[in-house]
Amino acid sequence: MVLKIRLARFGKRNAPFYNIVVAQARTARNSKPLEVLGTYDPIPKPAPQGEGKPFKDIKMDTARAKYWLGVGAQPSEPMWRLLSMIGLMEPKYSIQKMQQAEAEQRAARKEEAADASEGR
Amino acid sequence: MPPRIRRPYLRTPQALPSPSHRCQCICKTRARQFSSTPKHATRVRDEMFRWLNGPGFVFRHPLPGSTNYLNAYDRYGRLVRAKNRLVGKNEKEKAEDEEKIDENADEEVNEDGEIVPKKPQKIKEAGIKETKNEPALPRETMEDLMPFPLNRQFRSQHVLSEELKDAIYERVMAEGQSVRTVSAALGVEMSRVGAVVRLKALEKEMEKQGKPIAFSYAKAVLGMLPSTPYVPYAPVTHESINDLPVHRATETQIFHPVSESRHFTRRDAGKVFDRELKPAEERVPHTELVQLEKWRHEGKIEVERIRLQREMEAKDVQSKKALERKRKEREAREMRKVDTERSEFRFQDIRVESVGRSGRSKEGVGARYGIPHQDRKKGQIKIPMRVA
Repeated sequence: MVLKIRLARFGKRNAPFYNIVVAQARTARNSKPLEVLGTYDPIPKPAPQGEGKPFKDIKMDTARAKYWLGVGAQPSEPMWRLLSMIGLMEPKYSIQKMQQAEAEQRAARKEEAADASEGR
Repeated sequence: MPPRIRRPYLRTPQALPSPSHRCQCICKTRARQFSSTPKHATRVRDEMFRWLNGPGFVFRHPLPGSTNYLNAYDRYGRLVRAKNRLVGKNEKEKAEDEEKIDENADEEVNEDGEIVPKKPQKIKEAGIKETKNEPALPRETMEDLMPFPLNRQFRSQHVLSEELKDAIYERVMAEGQSVRTVSAALGVEMSRVGAVVRLKALEKEMEKQGKPIAFSYAKAVLGMLPSTPYVPYAPVTHESINDLPVHRATETQIFHPVSESRHFTRRDAGKVFDRELKPAEERVPHTELVQLEKWRHEGKIEVERIRLQREMEAKDVQSKKALERKRKEREAREMRKVDTERSEFRFQDIRVESVGRSGRSKEGVGARYGIPHQDRKKGQIKIPMRVA
């Protein structure tokens, strides 16, 4: 069966708090996982002394995460985003990627336009 | 000197007279009485007016720079602590009282509501001290600092004067002195120094924003409390700054027999209470003052002592910087910060093994499985029991 690296919701109403877990894909969300890799607090805490951006705390055992990815565990989409932040996964929807693609398309269109004008 | 008789004040009226009562003296002469007050209350009112026009007259124009509590005056309305200073003749006293009243009148004219509360008073006090040939008014004794005549246990405690607060803020923020140094120099506890600096900063911030500040209120309250003045070159000690905090481990009584031949010091006694307990001289807030006294006992001259103290302070600063650097390095090693558009993600590396073999250890990260929350249960203490 497929192993997943996913989030399990704990915490109270309006105050979500997640465990980052490794579990069988078909088991229930909050069932006992194979391993708890860490936690994710999605509620941003205000920056200390009001300087800079608010921050979100993530605690994670990166070594174990690498191991589980190595043996074929598949991150869920939110986990993919988090893992790609610390370079454990290739970003799925990277803004830079999209911008690069757009730039390439624009360049290609320009070339086409130039070719067409030369052909005239 | 005759003994102080202060009890009679207990019979002074408790409530302020209403306007109708105030005109009672005049009403008395009239033919018709509209008041339906029973006869026995009239005597009390008579007494009240006798007090208001007699010994209570001094309170109409309170003495500047004094708390003006009832207990500071005797039954004839004379300031008890000024008795020694005066010759004791009634006429002279009356003349002086009038003088005082005049001064007060001046003060009232001069002041506008926006003046920082203590300053005008202090100037006045200094003026009295300098201009008069007589010795200055002595400081208020504990007997004088009883605001409630019925509560003889309650004594007003001194508060920091506005100048002293300004001086503390100036020294810490403008001159960059450490809280420890300022505390030792001015005789104010370190926590209080910190609080003064924070509150002063807040006040200045409010001033900058143009928010109204309750000066009149502060003036009124501070006028009723004794305050520690600021004397730049001979600071007045505000409070005891080097009190030994009570450690939990020392709260029990221990009977610990020791053989006479054994060299048993305070350090050893501390260890009897707790193996980790430091000796008293290392647990007091100002350890450097203890060290200073030790050097003095060793017979070191002042220049040498100052040099040694400077060295010690420099070393302190160095070690603090090193600690801060280490903390930052550790944070950088363990924490990875990723900036996104809205917020910063802080990844902290942890060990999965911290949950222990059973997977239920409290040191482990994350919500535990199979351990229900107790927070909805009856009788759970929800207020924090200790500060992290």
